[in-house]
Order: sequence, then C-alpha cells, then structure tokens
Amino acid sequence: MKYVQDIAAATKEIFSTMIMLEVSAGESFSRTNSKLEDSVSGIVGLAGDIKGMLAIHLPKKTALAVTTAFLGMDVEDVDEDVCDAIGELANMLGGSLKAAIDPGGSKVQLSMPSAIHGQEYTIDCLADAELITVPFTFDNHTFMVELQISQS
Amino acid sequence: MGKTVLIVDDSNTMRKIVARSLRQAGIDFDSILEAADGQEALDVLHANQVDVVLSDINMPNMTGLEFLKAKSEDDAIKDIPVIMISTETGADIIDEAKSYGAKGAIKKPFTPDLINETLGPLL
Repeated sequence: MKYVQDIAAATKEIFSTMIMLEVSAGESFSRTNSKLEDSVSGIVGLAGDIKGMLAIHLPKKTALAVTTAFLGMDVEDVDEDVCDAIGELANMLGGSLKAAIDPGGSKVQLSMPSAIHGQEYTIDCLADAELITVPFTFDNHTFMVELQISQS
Repeated sequence: MGKTVLIVDDSNTMRKIVARSLRQAGIDFDSILEAADGQEALDVLHANQVDVVLSDINMPNMTGLEFLKAKSEDDAIKDIPVIMISTETGADIIDEAKSYGAKGAIKKPFTPDLINETLGPLL
C-alpha cells in the first residue's frame, strides 16, 4: 500500500528524535470502524490538489505516556498540554508526509493542527479517500497513524 | 552581557522542546523569551534586547513569513538574525523566508546537534 513505508519512517523518526521513544510499526490496514474510545487524536488537514487528513490516534493512557516523555514532566490527565503535544505530533507527521505526497511542494497545503479527545467520538472518512492506517507499539502501548487522501 | 533568544511558536509544547534542545546542544542563553505568533514576537523584539530568534512558520494571527517581512521593514529590529524552525521547509518557503532575511531553517523533527550546527555560527 502506497505511503505505508513513509508513515512508518516518519513516525519512527519523530518519536525517536523528539520523544526518545523507539516505536515499532505493525501491519497496515484500512480502519473501517470510525469510533474511537477514551482516546486523544491529533489531526492535520490536507488541502489543495490532494485533499485529506493525517491523524494520530492514541488511547488516553498512551497519550499521557507520550506527553510525559515529550515534555519531560508528569501529566496525569488530558489537559491543554496533552492536546498541544499530540497536535504538534500530528503537525510534524503532516510535514514529513507532505514531502512524500507532494515532492514539489506546491499541490498540498497543511492546516493548523488540532486535537480532540473524549470517551467516544468518530472521525469520518472522506467518501472517495484512500485510507491507510498503520499501528505502532512501544512498551505496552499502542497507537495508530492514519492518512486519508483523495486526488482531485 | 548574556545572550537572549526569542522562541516563536504557537505550540507551548514546541517552545518547551526548543528551549530544552538549546540546553542539550550546550548553547547557554542567559534569557529565553517566548512568543506565540508573529505579532507577539514583534512586540517582544521592541521591548527587549534579543540576540537571535527561532521562529515557526505556520502560526495563527501572524505567520512566520509575515513576521519576517514586517521585521525586515522595521529599522529598529531588522538586523536581529532569525532561524526558521518548521515542519515545512520546502524550497519555495525557505527562499521566501531568506528573501526577508532569515539566516537558515531547521526542519522538525530536529536534534540538538542540528540546532547547534545552525545556530552556532550566529552567536
């Protein structure tokens, strides 16, 4: 599946360089159940000739562990710092993957990152988008990085 | 007199990470100032003696490129060196940043070594 290796490489580099965590990529799939439970998601939109979004979905306990490692300080609940950190992860992933999706740099614009969290929420897919989901693990934690793209 | 750096990023997380990376790189600033967008950065530059600026590009209110342009047209602060730190370091964006006086660019994710390599010659 196109971009799987790019997602894996970008995610490993960002976690290794910025958070000092070594993560392992699993087998890619296309997520069909849009419901996410007790999670935090960081999202960056893609606009232009290629539309879509890049998202990172982490269970709450994983989001707290990642933010703790990222900021070098303990965080005990999902707060502004956690949302900001997970949004910034999405931002870096979006920037790295943009280079693979749009090597010329003129066809895709990235939105400002955002983060959402809650007990249960859905993130809908674009109707005609290609959906690529790559699971990752570190220690006893798992999370997903997901790319949805649709060529105009 | 000690040196002062201004870190400009709308993400509080990234401002902390950049400050930590400066310390890890062994670059010792007496004062680290912060701004959340380009307009805040202009205000900080007018109110403080700043030696170097590290600025994001993609920010709300006033982007990094708009900040650079405004700074380049302001005689009081135009000579303060700026390094861009961004997820987007495409040639077009960096060329535009350099046309407004940016001295270099660092792509996120970055290592302390890369910060040292880029920032060192300006100090």
